[in-house]
Amino acid sequence: MRGDVRSRRIAVVPDAVLNPPEGGDDRLASLADAGWGVVGLCPADLVPDARAAWLEAVVEQVVTFLDDGYEVALVDDGDAETLRFTAALAETGRFVDSVLTA
Amino acid sequence: MKVVCYLAHCLLNANAKVDEGARCPGVFSPLVSLLRERGATLRQMPCPELAFGGTRRFWAVREQYDTPAYRAHCRRLAAPVAMQIAADLAAGARVVIVGVDGSPSLGVELTAASDEWGGRPDKPRDEDYPVTPGAGIFTETLLQLVGERVDVTVVGIGHDLLDYDEARELAKVRGVVGDAG
Repeated sequence: MRGDVRSRRIAVVPDAVLNPPEGGDDRLASLADAGWGVVGLCPADLVPDARAAWLEAVVEQVVTFLDDGYEVALVDDGDAETLRFTAALAETGRFVDSVLTA
Repeated sequence: MKVVCYLAHCLLNANAKVDEGARCPGVFSPLVSLLRERGATLRQMPCPELAFGGTRRFWAVREQYDTPAYRAHCRRLAAPVAMQIAADLAAGARVVIVGVDGSPSLGVELTAASDEWGGRPDKPRDEDYPVTPGAGIFTETLLQLVGERVDVTVVGIGHDLLDYDEARELAKVRGVVGDAG
């Protein structure tokens, strides 16, 4: 069998981490170097009609990781999308308490 | 021309891989670096297998996933992605979908298929994983929703191939994204 090197650590990140502004810090690289995998929240320019379904898919995946005992943390920029995510996750009865300062 | 890359979920989060399938701790950094250098916008697609079978699922082939329920699940997940792809195209971007060759769901040119697999999970992943030409079920579903577009390119990173060669796989992406720039 070949090895499996997953970190079992997932950071939920706003779109600005996947797509930093020009000249901004590459926080995705920092997270990667520290061994985190990332789950990206809805793109900043997501078409409105796709938003609910996109967010639902993100929440489903985070719930799966939480329920299986993976470490999940949030990179919270105080943005609207992160607020929407935490509210939607709370509706499932799950919470992400750990906040990264990436 | 702006290039928007839709990445298979596990390329940014190897924790979503099937058991024993994670080739890196989390983010597949060489791919991200390559796409950053080319100024590509990154979008992460959902992992249909993770949401369907969880993190403890066994490796499987297309035939094991190819049920009406799984196809409906893929359509539900692919629909918002297809909507955003349509918006990106309408805004004048070129779209590149980066899947995972060898995957029963996200394969692009290569998937895993076998009439023999099933039942007791006694198949060693590293001996006879039945890679065959063709796309995975999610890729197939997404492309059906997107429709035939000359400005949508698909390419697969062979993370699920036993003869995985990182340089070869990145060269494929470099060729596609480079051409798009």
